[in-house]
Amino acid sequence: MAMFVTKRLLMALATVLVVAVLAFLLVHAMPGSPGAVSLGAGASQDAIDQLNQSLGWNDPLVVQFFRWLGDAIQGNLGSSLIDGRSVSADLATRLPVTASLAAGATILSAIFGIILGVTAAVRGGFLDQLIGGFVGLLVALPAFWIGVIFVYLFAVQSSVFPATGYVPFDVSPQDWAMSLALPVITLAVGGAAFIARQTRASMLEALQQEHIRTLRATATPTWKILYVHALRYASLPIVAGIALQFIGLFGGSVIAEQLFAMPGLGQAVQTSVSTHDAPAVQGVVVIATVVVVAVNLVLELATKFLDPKLRAS
Amino acid sequence: MIPTLPATPRKTALTKLSGHRLLASPTGLAGTLWLAVMVTASLTAPWWLPFKTEDQDFTAVLSGPTAAHWLGTDELGRDILSRIFASAAETLGTSFITVIVGVGLGTLLALAAANSQRAEGVISRVTEIMMSLPGTVIILAVIGAVGTNIPLIMAILGVLISAGIYRVMLGQAKSLQNQLYVDAATVDGLSPLAISVRHVLPGLATTIVVQSALIFAVGLLIQAGLAFIGFGPPLPQPSWGGMIQSASQHVYDAPWLMVPTGVVLALTVLSANAIGNALGKAPNAGASHLPSAAIRRKRAGQAAAAAAATPAVRNPPAAGKLSVRGLSVGVDGGTPLVTDVSFDVEPGTVLGLVGESGCGKTMTALSLMGLLPSGVAVTDGQILWNGKNLAAATDRDMEGIRGREIALISQEPMRALDPMFTVGYQLTSAIRRLQSMGRAEAGAEALGLLEKVGIVDARRILKSYPHQISGGMAQRVAIALALSGKPRLLVADEPTTALDVTVQAEILSLLRSLVKDTGMSVVMVTHDLGVVADICDQVAVMYAGQVVENGRTGSILDQPRHPYTLALLAADPHANSAHDMPHRLATIKGQVPQPKDWPAGCRFAARCQFAGSACVVPVPLLPSGTETGLVRCVKADELAVEGMAWVATDSAVHQHVPAEVPARHRLDITEKDMA
Amino acid sequence: MSIDTPLRPESASTVHRMPMLEVKDLVVRYGHGRKAASAPPAVDGVSFAIQPGETVGLVGESGSGKSTIGKAILGLQRVSGGSVAFQGEDITHAKSGKRRAIGSELRAVFQDPNSSLNPRKTIGASLAEPLRIRGVSSGVARAKAEDMLERVGLPREAVDRYPSQFSGGQRQRISVARALICEPQLVVCDEAVSALDLSTQAQVLNLLADLRDERGLSYLFIAHDISVVQFLAQRVVVLYRGQVMESGPAAAVTESPKHPFTQALVAASPVPRPAEQAQRRAVRESLGVRTASAAAATAGGCPFRQRCPLATELCSTERPAVRRVGEADVACHYA
Repeated sequence: MAMFVTKRLLMALATVLVVAVLAFLLVHAMPGSPGAVSLGAGASQDAIDQLNQSLGWNDPLVVQFFRWLGDAIQGNLGSSLIDGRSVSADLATRLPVTASLAAGATILSAIFGIILGVTAAVRGGFLDQLIGGFVGLLVALPAFWIGVIFVYLFAVQSSVFPATGYVPFDVSPQDWAMSLALPVITLAVGGAAFIARQTRASMLEALQQEHIRTLRATATPTWKILYVHALRYASLPIVAGIALQFIGLFGGSVIAEQLFAMPGLGQAVQTSVSTHDAPAVQGVVVIATVVVVAVNLVLELATKFLDPKLRAS
Repeated sequence: MIPTLPATPRKTALTKLSGHRLLASPTGLAGTLWLAVMVTASLTAPWWLPFKTEDQDFTAVLSGPTAAHWLGTDELGRDILSRIFASAAETLGTSFITVIVGVGLGTLLALAAANSQRAEGVISRVTEIMMSLPGTVIILAVIGAVGTNIPLIMAILGVLISAGIYRVMLGQAKSLQNQLYVDAATVDGLSPLAISVRHVLPGLATTIVVQSALIFAVGLLIQAGLAFIGFGPPLPQPSWGGMIQSASQHVYDAPWLMVPTGVVLALTVLSANAIGNALGKAPNAGASHLPSAAIRRKRAGQAAAAAAATPAVRNPPAAGKLSVRGLSVGVDGGTPLVTDVSFDVEPGTVLGLVGESGCGKTMTALSLMGLLPSGVAVTDGQILWNGKNLAAATDRDMEGIRGREIALISQEPMRALDPMFTVGYQLTSAIRRLQSMGRAEAGAEALGLLEKVGIVDARRILKSYPHQISGGMAQRVAIALALSGKPRLLVADEPTTALDVTVQAEILSLLRSLVKDTGMSVVMVTHDLGVVADICDQVAVMYAGQVVENGRTGSILDQPRHPYTLALLAADPHANSAHDMPHRLATIKGQVPQPKDWPAGCRFAARCQFAGSACVVPVPLLPSGTETGLVRCVKADELAVEGMAWVATDSAVHQHVPAEVPARHRLDITEKDMA
Repeated sequence: MSIDTPLRPESASTVHRMPMLEVKDLVVRYGHGRKAASAPPAVDGVSFAIQPGETVGLVGESGSGKSTIGKAILGLQRVSGGSVAFQGEDITHAKSGKRRAIGSELRAVFQDPNSSLNPRKTIGASLAEPLRIRGVSSGVARAKAEDMLERVGLPREAVDRYPSQFSGGQRQRISVARALICEPQLVVCDEAVSALDLSTQAQVLNLLADLRDERGLSYLFIAHDISVVQFLAQRVVVLYRGQVMESGPAAAVTESPKHPFTQALVAASPVPRPAEQAQRRAVRESLGVRTASAAAATAGGCPFRQRCPLATELCSTERPAVRRVGEADVACHYA
């Protein structure tokens, strides 16, 4: 087990490193030197060259990368070319926004997805078809479209929730929850549909296993067969599906953040890409990767713990 | 003799098969139609669109549907319908780039990984990394570097997605690569590349099409999402995502604007998904062992009706006696699988149900417990247990009988145990439930049971998971589980078939001693006549859903009366030892008929050496003349009197049949000394 | 049986010819790395030879390595040590080019009739494939395929059908046809009849016996069922956990087994005659062989020692050398 954790940790570290290199190279391929981006269109070539020189832009790529890496390990991701603010400080305020969004949406979609999926598999018949059709529809609707419709329904027609904006938790927990409600629900719709499908398929597969017949042959009550044995068997692929969902939502929050004006990582990457703010783009990519890889690692360990075969080895 | 071929229609390429599946599903058909309309409409758009994309109609800004603007106009008075279809070709086309790159790369990686373990190690590592990346963020960073070059972005998206495709394909590619026909091709000397192309790739065709449809939908959604946040094609070129974005700005004053583009996008995505799902649906998924609530309700109704219809049993039989009368089992709505099966099992005896695969022996056994798979049900007859007709019992009634009175052990012990729980948990929870014991008491009982089935280190086994024990040990555990409710009847479905012979012998000895010690009875399903000889007191030989002969084991195996039993014994190499092994074994020509092909007369007649004109009418099960035996053959007496033997007749086409049948082909079995 | 039928072992052993197949000290380990190296190998120093026209049966329980040996001979499994020679030529590590050269002489019939034919190809295409690889024109290959189908008792029209249209027994006959279409010298039959019902099993066994007698083929017949092996084989090799326990003439090994494991194996195989089976059961119980589940796999010594009634200290320290007992070669200190 310790061996496994070490191996996975190294793997995660490697993933982050690979992404850091990729991000670094991508950012260098961006049009415009940092000097040009920072000083804007009206600047003289001399001023641009001077700034580039002082930023180390003319050093060999390897040197630049390791300088960046050295700083990054100490928590310094450089400063924005546009407003000169520290990228780390900026991302530190943005991370909680995206994390609340993604975590909230994952939890919500897991709850509803599992309920819908289990119901469809267990009840069968008409209800199964109804849920199947509903879920199929939700999968096909783009999140940004659903989001706009939610805004129209819950913020324009009836002002149940605020349409846009984010209130930090430490300012007012209640307003925080209210401000998250619409974006979280928007993101969770597709997620719940995905998890519902995964759950239904896994449950049906579990019920096809021969040990279910053994359980029936020893007079195990139906509820126990369904919710203890079959669900336990199905839990592995369901947890894997939830992990995938989190990764998708963490990246996919860009759209919800834009739509609901949430100051999260997605908004940061969107703005910095538009303005060619290289250090900011690089910072967001690396931070997002670190978070996603870390969550993935946790869920993978959970899967390992759920499967007796893996646990034993 | 050359058998005639079945007159089934010739099956052609896989595409035809999957096309059939697509058209059979209403949603798949609708999806195909919609996509076809979209593609045609978008390709021909320049010729039929009412307006140019940039034509502005200031008399109708933000209008709803009108005669001039069928789908309304946007904030600059541009025609929505024209803008949707003008941008459709590019939207669909660039999404297809993602499909080609993603599915193509994923398939190639899967083929390479299936081919060599080393490649699999590397590729799986890399794709694991790719799958744990925040894809959207990376795509945005790429946009930062290369700008909004949509075809390139969609290609890179394809690369990111290929990791997921690889995951989906790998399992299937590996299972195809492990097929024996790939081994055969390797033995032929076919190169690994040629094997991948000729034998593995064609098998992936359906999955490739399914994944393509699903990825097409993903591509559409992501592309629209990017355009929505401002990374679409350069303005003023229209795009679906961009149109929804500008519509969202007017959700306060012109909510209608959200509808046309949103619906077209959603319908297109829905269509691609529907096609994928219709093609990807497994044609024959395995049957559920716990039917859904909807089906269970229907079953309960049927059972109640059957119970009302069957007459009350007069003379209730002795306790612990099983009496099956005229049992028929069939697929819901048609094909019979078992017809008119009758037998009795006295307390403390072992009955063998023996026959080849497809003869209905397992279905007969499962019906005793009310555990027939979904879609199969008892259609007629009675299963009398302690005077109660189990064939008409509800699932609730059966719950009181299963485990407590009748228990089951099945063919594959590993699959019969729940892999997620320890042996101890499974055993003690069954004991607590069936014997109403407390936790501690049940634990002691579990230990005792494991020792009773011959497990030496019972404490360790209790703590083990099923995958940690051997097959023979697992079967002992399964037997202990079956014994946990102190049943009076044990239904054993091929309990030793999956085990090695030395382990089989141990399990048979265990069952024999359990019968002797507890006085329970056993219904033993097997295809092995040696197992019958070893453990069964009575035997019922089944063929094509019927009992063709039954009686005491000694009389059936030593003096078989039915030609099928004669033939089975003559075909069994175990019936001979090395020094008297015949040069040819007796065979039965042809195959066991499918249930739909069962004739009205004797079902064995078409394969029988002794069949005559008398065999075309239905044959009843009649006393055979030996002890209490019954036989279903009009010629049984004649054969017994003449002492006929089943001879080896399947001599290959241009081979002469041996003129004289050697004496040892005859079935006059004598007791031989064991070497 | 016709008089010119080749080769009972008595006659084969007197003439010294080059064996059809010679396996020497074969070792196969699964997996890589230290863990795999310390585990007992799947095949551990197995040697045997097959003479031209001879059928050798390879018998053992699950995990005995019998199928692995077949795979190693056919080039489907990497060999870790020892050698395999076919008609005097070393093919231990032969690559696909070399395999193609000998592939018409050395062929295989596998266990599962459901997976040994590509379901997406017609029977004709599957049968022609080995010929087409060797440059036979499609017309000739098709004609040969039809002839071969007829020979195994199927109609010539079957060439245009798909495997799903045939029953398990018929498919297995098609597999036999595919193996024999190149007129091979040696056919490896890996559990070729285990998945079949009794009556179809007998059909395929008869077919294999007829073809052998007609063409003077050699078979390596791998099976878990000693009675099936005894029908076809002249010599039998008994395996336990990757090692040869006993080998010798089929009649000697199956009727008077010398090795305690062979004795247990033979006694455990039930016969369909109740009275005789009762005797066999008594014999089996008197052997005193311990249960398989009590025996963990350990390296060194005799692999059967934990179950063996004769085992002593010597058996756990020293691997028994093969020695001649009666007609058989036995790897036991005390047989």
